Amino acid sequence: MPNIKKIQKKLSKEYGDKVQVTFENDIIRLTGELDNWDDVFAACSMAATKNSKIHVVNDIKFTGDKIPPMRVPSLVDTTLEGKTPDVLVIGGGISGCAIARELSKWNIDVMLIEKNADFAMGASGANDGEVHVGFDLSKGSLKQKYVLLGNHMYDKLCSDLSVPFRREGQYALFTQSWLFLPVLFFCIWRKYHDGVTDTHFLTRRKILKAEPTFDRRIRFGVYNHSAGVVCPYGLTIAYAENAVENGAEAYLNTAVLSIDTDDNGVITAVNTNRGTIKPKIVVNAAGVFADDIAEMANDRFYSIHPRRGTNSIQDRKSAKIIDTIASVQHIDLKQQSKSHTKGGGLMRTVHDNILAGPDAVECYAKEDTATHPESIKVTYDKQKGTVPLASERDIITYFTGVRAPTFEEDFVIEWGRNCGNLFHCGGIQSPGLTAAPAFALDIEMMIVERLSKMMTVEKKTKWQPKRQAVPVLKDMSPAKRAALIAKNPDYGVIICRCEEISKGEIIDALNRPLCPPTVDAIKKRIRPGMGRCQGGFCSPLVTKIIAEHEHCTLSDVKKSSAEAVICYGETKGGDTE
Amino acid sequence: MIRTCDVLVIGGGPAGLAAAIAADKEGAKVILIERESRLGGILKQCIHDGFGLVRFKEKLSGPEYAERFIDEFKSRGIEAKTLTFVTSVERISTGFKATVVSREGVEVIETKSLILATGCRERTSKQVFIHGTRPSGVFTAGTAQHFTNLLGQLPTKRCVILGSGDIGLIMARRLTLEGAKVLGVYEVKPTPSGLTRNIHQCLNDFDIPLHLSHTVTRVFGQDRLEAVEVAKVDDKMRAIPGTEEIIECDALILSVGLIPENEIAETLEVQIDGRTKGPRCDASLMTTVPGIFSCGNALHVNDLVDYVSESGETAGKNAAHFALGTERVLVDIKPNENILYIVPQTLDINKKNDDVVVYFRSKEVFNKATFRIIADGKIVFEKKYAFLRPPEMEKIVADFSKFNLREYSKITAEVEVDAK
Amino acid sequence: MNLVCITCPRGCTVNIEKVGDDWKVSGNSCNKGREFAINEMTKPMRTICSTVKTTFSDAPVLPCRVSADIPKDKIFDVMKEINKVVVDKPIGRGDVIIKNALDLGVDVISTSDLLSQI
Repeated sequence: MPNIKKIQKKLSKEYGDKVQVTFENDIIRLTGELDNWDDVFAACSMAATKNSKIHVVNDIKFTGDKIPPMRVPSLVDTTLEGKTPDVLVIGGGISGCAIARELSKWNIDVMLIEKNADFAMGASGANDGEVHVGFDLSKGSLKQKYVLLGNHMYDKLCSDLSVPFRREGQYALFTQSWLFLPVLFFCIWRKYHDGVTDTHFLTRRKILKAEPTFDRRIRFGVYNHSAGVVCPYGLTIAYAENAVENGAEAYLNTAVLSIDTDDNGVITAVNTNRGTIKPKIVVNAAGVFADDIAEMANDRFYSIHPRRGTNSIQDRKSAKIIDTIASVQHIDLKQQSKSHTKGGGLMRTVHDNILAGPDAVECYAKEDTATHPESIKVTYDKQKGTVPLASERDIITYFTGVRAPTFEEDFVIEWGRNCGNLFHCGGIQSPGLTAAPAFALDIEMMIVERLSKMMTVEKKTKWQPKRQAVPVLKDMSPAKRAALIAKNPDYGVIICRCEEISKGEIIDALNRPLCPPTVDAIKKRIRPGMGRCQGGFCSPLVTKIIAEHEHCTLSDVKKSSAEAVICYGETKGGDTE
Repeated sequence: MIRTCDVLVIGGGPAGLAAAIAADKEGAKVILIERESRLGGILKQCIHDGFGLVRFKEKLSGPEYAERFIDEFKSRGIEAKTLTFVTSVERISTGFKATVVSREGVEVIETKSLILATGCRERTSKQVFIHGTRPSGVFTAGTAQHFTNLLGQLPTKRCVILGSGDIGLIMARRLTLEGAKVLGVYEVKPTPSGLTRNIHQCLNDFDIPLHLSHTVTRVFGQDRLEAVEVAKVDDKMRAIPGTEEIIECDALILSVGLIPENEIAETLEVQIDGRTKGPRCDASLMTTVPGIFSCGNALHVNDLVDYVSESGETAGKNAAHFALGTERVLVDIKPNENILYIVPQTLDINKKNDDVVVYFRSKEVFNKATFRIIADGKIVFEKKYAFLRPPEMEKIVADFSKFNLREYSKITAEVEVDAK
Repeated sequence: MNLVCITCPRGCTVNIEKVGDDWKVSGNSCNKGREFAINEMTKPMRTICSTVKTTFSDAPVLPCRVSADIPKDKIFDVMKEINKVVVDKPIGRGDVIIKNALDLGVDVISTSDLLSQI
């Protein structure tokens, strides 16, 4: 039971009469008006208790700017009109795709919808791909529970789904000697209290011997060997593909516009731009929009505060500077910093690029994935202290994702409090990628249990957990490669010179289930355009291959969404558009 | 099956073609590898004229220039493997072993010498730190040129061009002719990067404004690009706050520099010159690894294709005569601070060096300057220039044969400025 | 008046002045520069390089140019003619695509053998 008077006192001290707090139905609701988003965030954070199940709901009117509405695809049709799936999963990020895949074990109709033109277009796509060990998390939170479980699942999962994954280990590095004892005690506490058993406390000498590229100013560090790296969008797409291969339905460009509930608070219909769906159970895995979906179902008992983070990717040429995950930690006692993972870490990705980041910036626009020069600066200022050879000059690209935390900074994984057939999988942020495989299994069981009360639910006899990926020819032996080319000569035609991707692989990707015929979708799946020329050479060629495969004109091929036109049609003669 | 040859040329653009022809003329058995389906390299899409003025005394378009070489290449019966990609090259005792893939499968070719004619690639928007959203409509000039000239597709109706490099200027005219509106060309430097004639015939002729000391700082638009932000820059090329301006357009086309492609060279531990971003070579255009030669835009970015072909011929001729075990004694040619770069970077003093072709660029625009090569205090070559401009590469021929070069010799190249 | 000669990559800055009925040209490095400058004052000429549409799917456009310079003010008129053409035969480099375009006494010619190679 939160002390509302105390909270109001703190708020009044800071913001006068601009912000009010009430407590009703187990919800701490903040109302009022503020014109600065940092103040909105600070006010709500003031009222929140970390990891609490009693959430802060932010109803403070932000007057500083217009908050952009959710972007909705231009597509309007009736494809989904009247469909009655047993389970409707909203959101094609790592959570939604993992849940759909686990549910596909059962003889139930599972439908996955995603409003963007592809899967993994939110935080799952702009993720750094770290598989965490949970070293920074304390017992009692859902994050901590699922990160430990999820981490252990990764080897088998990625082998089943043919997704690149490596356990590379992770270093937390310290330059301040006075932290030696506190960190040592912290390690022991984590090990015996929180179950993070693979922690090693290392001296400077040992670290620099193992990792000669690290900054010489390091005094000591903590190493967790079970930390890993995965291709985050690769895993998300693999989950979606495997779900569909096992009978689930999945629809892109499908946004939830409103939800109808009956007098008992039960969802009767979900209205989308592609028709009205009447599911038995709805799973809310809508990422940054999870609270908006909850609101539509009259079940908003938490708020998401968007927090963007930018990652930079370096040319593979610089891969040798680090082959693990590392970040230098600096504790400033004077500065009571509430910042989360500022400046992020440095790691080698599964594709042998160096990734630096992410930073963390609170923002009000949930889909604001624009990048800013300060992000790169913050990240590199910090990461040069991890590995001095890290250099902005080796950057080939950078991108921003928006995290979806609640003010309590824990996951929300539970049935609706007001809405009987809505399951919330909200507040999923770092280490959401690591945790998703584990919480998807729990959610699967909770949904099956609930569904069993409404219908007969049985396991499929022929569930196929293994997914075949598009072959990666550049990693094959010459003999194996030659054998594949003999079968399909297109495997011998290299289209992307930086990543060595053949025409055959591009056509394979287009033939996979759920692959939108766009340049970005191909890039995400098999990487043409991910290299140092960033598609300069290959994007026209990929565009042409897609057009041939889809029997459409070149100008019909898009970068991602329907509006992301690449070319406006023929320069002359004939083409009248 | 392992194929063998004397000279393996990687790249079938103007440099590779010239190299292959020159090596064939010397009697070598040559194989040329080209990753695309047709020979000609980037010239296939450079349909504008102005090529070949030095060599053919004619104004040819890119395809015409390339096809003259292709015709000779074919009439000589030189073997070209097109749609073939080199996946790796290793050193072996007899030279080099290249593994290539094509529709025929995986093949190994052993060669005595290797010519890297791999051209260059364009710097991208992220390499010049443009921020904002990630819409479609951000193209490098070469990509826009590919869409327009090879695929016949219009990549923009209304665009801003960043960078006044020659390809950017050429594309400004090209897109205008095809019906697009080019709102302006923005150049971060206080002077244009492209040739003066291109400023005139590509921009001035079509009333396209050139904004010097300006850059694009941000792009807007979720799906297709909707606008860009441009700003004035200070003398350190940093955007000046308060000078930002939003320009509505559907594309940003970048002509912000070319980088020699030397991925294969790097795997073979060829030393790369930090100034040219190409391999360090001697006068025969042999790199620091014996048997590996470099030419064309992989060696350094040229502004005239005539010099690309010329360097290809030099590399081809010398590669044909390369014999394993020949001792080289390399002495550096050290450029002074007014020189952006110089090629070759070294001389093999065991050679005669009586007609060394030297290419150089000045670091800044200089009016009235003297270029000089000095060996052990003696002037080997001297030439006065009315002006030197970084975008315009200079070529001279120097005779070192009378200077009795030794391994401890000091060779310097200098540009002395008479007036700035 | 100062002009930049576009005849060759040298790009000389040429000064031209009318002296009576004659032109006084300076700054040029060769005779072509003088010719260019006088033309520029009397009848500026330019070339056009573009593409024409084809019926071949692997080469949807064929590069072309005018066989000799045309008056500068006719550039967009000639472009309109070029945009109308569709090549349906594998013509070669130098072959005429449009004969005597707009009666300017100049042909539009193919600049590539590309169609014979696909």
